Parts: sequence; C-alpha cells; structure tokens
Amino acid sequence: MPQKILLRLNNNNPCNNKTNAICKRVALCFSIHQLTTGLIFPLFMQLHLQHIIPFPLRDRLASRHSDIWGREMLWSAGDKVQIIAPSGTGKTTLVHVLWNLRHDYAGTMQYDGTEVRQISPVRLAEMRQQELAVVFQDLRLFPKLTGRENIELKRNMSRKPFCSSRDVEHMAERLGVANVLHQTANTCSYGEQQRIAIIRALVQPFSWLIMDEPFSHLDKQNTAIASQLITEACHARGAGFVLTDLDGNTTLICNKTFQL
Amino acid sequence: MNSIGNIKPFLQKVIRSGVGRWRFFAATLGLLVALVIILLSLQLYLNFNQLLHGKANESETAEFLVISKEVTAENQSKKNESYFLPEEIALLGKQPFADRVGEISSTNFIVTISSFSNAFPFYTDAYFESVPDEFIDIKTEDWSWKQGQVNIPVIIPSFFLELYNTGMAMSQENLPRLSLEALQAIPLRVNIKHSGGTAEFVAHVAGTTDRLNSVLVPEAFMQYANKAYGYQESKPPTRLVLKTLDAADPALQSFLVANSYTTNSDKTKLNKARIIVNWIAGVVGIIGLIMLLFGMLVFTLFIQLTIAASRMDIVLLQTLGASPRQLSGYLMGMFMPVYGAMVMIALLVLSVLQYGIHQLLLQKQLLVSPWLSVYTLAAAALWLLLIWFVNKRTITNYLKAG
Repeated sequence: MPQKILLRLNNNNPCNNKTNAICKRVALCFSIHQLTTGLIFPLFMQLHLQHIIPFPLRDRLASRHSDIWGREMLWSAGDKVQIIAPSGTGKTTLVHVLWNLRHDYAGTMQYDGTEVRQISPVRLAEMRQQELAVVFQDLRLFPKLTGRENIELKRNMSRKPFCSSRDVEHMAERLGVANVLHQTANTCSYGEQQRIAIIRALVQPFSWLIMDEPFSHLDKQNTAIASQLITEACHARGAGFVLTDLDGNTTLICNKTFQL
Repeated sequence: MNSIGNIKPFLQKVIRSGVGRWRFFAATLGLLVALVIILLSLQLYLNFNQLLHGKANESETAEFLVISKEVTAENQSKKNESYFLPEEIALLGKQPFADRVGEISSTNFIVTISSFSNAFPFYTDAYFESVPDEFIDIKTEDWSWKQGQVNIPVIIPSFFLELYNTGMAMSQENLPRLSLEALQAIPLRVNIKHSGGTAEFVAHVAGTTDRLNSVLVPEAFMQYANKAYGYQESKPPTRLVLKTLDAADPALQSFLVANSYTTNSDKTKLNKARIIVNWIAGVVGIIGLIMLLFGMLVFTLFIQLTIAASRMDIVLLQTLGASPRQLSGYLMGMFMPVYGAMVMIALLVLSVLQYGIHQLLLQKQLLVSPWLSVYTLAAAALWLLLIWFVNKRTITNYLKAG
C-alpha cells in the first residue's frame, strides 16, 4: 500500500519539485502510520469536475456566469475550496454531485481519475468510510438515535475506528454539546444537531471534507470553535475541504474561492 | 472494514422489522409445518425403501424369479411361442432391475425314475432341468458331474419333501416319513430312453431348494445327456431365471406385463404396495413443496417489507458509507437464525416421529432405522442453503434498488 501511494503521487500529483519533496515526506509519514495502525490513509485524492451542468439548472445557467458549472475544475490534495453560492444557484446540488448522490447532469465527475458513475457500491462505501467525509445542509442524522449513537454509528463503520470515544467526548465538550449527546437527535436544537453532524464527519479518516453550510445555525463563538476543529482535523489528515457558503464570511482559511 | 459487529447495536435501532410480531410468528409456523411435511414425506419414502431392501439384506441374497411366457387360449396350441429367443433374453438382461439372467435347460429325452428297493417302491416319468451353478443356492461338493460318472446329484423343490411327509406318507400306512438326511441316502434309478436303447444312472438328492420349482441336475450332465440321448436338436429355453436385487421394482412388473411374461413368484406383488406408498409420498411431498414455496415467498415479502419500512434509514446508512456487505449481513442476520431454528425444530420433530415409527414397527418384526436418514438431513441442509441464496439475492437486489 505505501508503494501504491507513492506511485500515485509520482504519476498524478501535479506538485512542483519543492512541494513534491514535501508531499513525499508526508506520504512517508502516513505510510508509517498505516503500517503501525493498519489504517488505510487515502492521500492526494483529486476531485475533477469536467463541464458539469445539472439538468434542472440548465436553463438558468444559460443566462448567468458560474465559476463551477460548465467549467473544468481540478482540486488536488489539501486544497481548501470555498464556494460562495447565493440561494438557488445549486449549492446543495453541487454537494450531492460531489458526494455521488445524483447523476442528473451533463459532464463528468471523477474521484482520482475514476468517473463516479463507474464506482461500484462496495468501493463507494469504502471511499465514504476512508476518503470522503460530509456535513449535509439538512444534517441527515437519525432522529431516533441519540447524538452519541449517531456519531458512534459513523465512527464504528470502519473495523478499526479512526478516533476513540474519548476523542468524541473531547470534540463534543469543545463544541458545547457533551451535555446533549444522550438525547435523541430529534430533541436537540438545530444548532446542536449541526455540531453533532460536524463531529460525526470528523471521526473518520478522509482526504476531502465536503460541507454544505455547516455553520448556518451556529453563533460566532461556536462557528469559530467548529472552524478550529475542522482545520485541525484536515491538518492532521493532510486533507482538503470543499465548503459551500451563502456569503463567503467564513472563519475557515481557504486557498481557492469560487462563485457558483 | 465492513465489519457489522461494531454497528449492529445501532442498526438494530435504525432498521425495524417491517412485519408485525404475530404475523411473523404465524408465517414462521406455516413455513415450519411445510418443512416438516416435505422432510417427513422424504423420510417415509426412505423408510419404506429400507423395509424392502432390509428384507433382501436380511436373507443376504438377491431374489430369483422364474420367468416364462404366458399361456393363453390363443397360443396354447403353439408350442414354439413358448421359447425365449436370444434377443429376448438379451433384452431382459439389459433391464436396470436385472442383475443376471440364466437359461433353464430341460431334458430332450424321456426319463423315468424308480426305486431300487422293494421296501420303498415307486416309479414315475420325470424330466430334469438345469441352470448355471450361480443360480443355485445349494453349496455342496456333491454338486458336480463328469462324463462317465454314473451318479447324478439332483436338487428337488422343498415342497416335494413337505408334500410327501405331510400328505403321501401320512395317507399310506406302509410309507415312512423321511428326513432330508434320510432322503439323501436313498439311491434312485434313472433310466433314459433313447434311440439306441436305455441308459441307466443312479441319482441321489443333493439338497432341496425354495428358489426354483424344478428337479435340477448339474448343467454338465444336462449338456452331455441332451447331446447323447436327445431325440431332437436342442431348443431354446422356455423358462428363464432372473436374479434381481428388487423383485418389487415397478419397472420389473411393467416389463413382464408388456412382454406377456409370467413369473411364479408372488414377490412382485409387493410393487403394488410400493406404488401406493410412492404415490402417497409423492402427493404429500408435492403439498409440502407447494407450502414451502409459498412460505419462502411470504418470507421474501417480509424481507422486502422490512427494507421498505426502513428504506429512508437504509438509504441514509448507504449515504453515510455503510457498505452493502454490512447492510446485507445485518438483514440476513435478522432472518437466517429464524430459518436455522426452523430446521433444528423440524429435525427434532422428525427425529421423535422416526423413533416412534421405529418402535412401532419393531413390534411387528419390521426394522427401520431409529435415526433420520442422511438424505433427510442433506435435504434440510439443502433447503437452508436455498433459502440463504434466495434471501441474499432478494436483499442484494433491494439494496441496489434503494
């Protein structure tokens, strides 16, 4: 597996010589981590959008400009992508396309050179456990499970959980939801549910974190804490993220910004 | 990866059974009854076969039938039609129920048998027959004949001696009853009349048999005597002896009827009972099979209902990254233990029934195994495998559709 990762690095990664050396060192570190923990760390996965136009937006897109729809996008390892998307521009549609939930669009979407429609259900599940994490706008918690159960369900999907229960408690304390983890999700406030959904996304390994308005119901203080947690998690994994936002006033540091 | 164990407690909360408890119980009971019926019909069929073949095994021998052509009003004057042609013999030998076929050769000359002793006077016209030695159940060194030998061993039907002792000897005051040993010690004068005169031999009884109702001499003597004294060329046999492992085989009965052959044995009558048992086992088996198919259909619907009832949650699980293997593993785990328990209960019920049947038949001197047949166990295992496959397929298809 380490050899495979390095091979992929040499073939696909468009880093220049300097960054390539850094990448190699990071890859080596993660390879050692893999050998010691048995975890498979997906590194340097690229997201490649090629001229995607969702069918429901086709008419509207004919009359306005977009940095994403109909364009070619190649987002590489560690990219911090912010997508500013006013209402009705297809923000959630984009997240669903990136998450491989819908295929009603023209163009192609690739994970690491593989067209998403070609990915088998088994491989897709593997990617969602090991390489991709998500925070949906509508959160998608199981209403009858407690906050802790929602997180534990995701944490335990892999045979060897990436985070410990202690890590979960720690994150919950930082986000101020430790005291509601025992409640069923449908009895928590939307803001609490949003923080639980963020923790759920951060308990797994990933190389990309996809977020759809993850702070929409958080106050400034909790938004800052959540941003800090996300930044730490991405840093620890060498991962990047795609963040959709209504107005671009995010506390997360991004290196690429696009208008949807 | 894809371990179900860690997330099972959560799946138990998320994925609910789509069927009410009582409905599930009723369907389980129905499927269990169907399973018991189909396995019982198979076990009864096997028991009956064991009874038939057990009898054959008890006597440690195959059964022997003497077959001849039927004499009817139409063909009674045509003696030639009584002969078995070589191709007819070959055809009989090729039948699946036929182990070996032997020709019964008969004398082609006139024979008389009389007593040497005035104390035990008798005289009778007679005829001899012979069969290959493998069809004879008397194992004695006496049973041989070489050219030049005056003594001829003969085998007589058991009932000859029985008739003599119980009828003839009792009706005439001066006739003694005879044991087999005494009979074997009595020499008999055999006169063979031929164109050149009369040849005299001395016969003695080598043994008695229930297998063939005829006076038998060694085949070597028959061949020699027919050649030396026969008044006409030797003719094809009119009787055949058939060695078969199962005289009650319905195919044997059908073959005899189709070719207008008769047999002197009542052993083939068993086949009627066997046909009835086969028929009953078949009908019960078909009913069981239909019930089983409906039961399996109901359970397939239960799986579909369960998936449908939890469809939103299953879709969310897939969205979050639950693998098909984890989900199908969990759903299979909801149903397979029920099927496993069903098979165990069915086999337990059948085991008790089988032991009861064993005890009941033992009182009637009939022996069937007190244990279930390995075929019944194999059928139960096969059913489990089949329902596993059907369920797996249903779940996989429905998860894909989800």
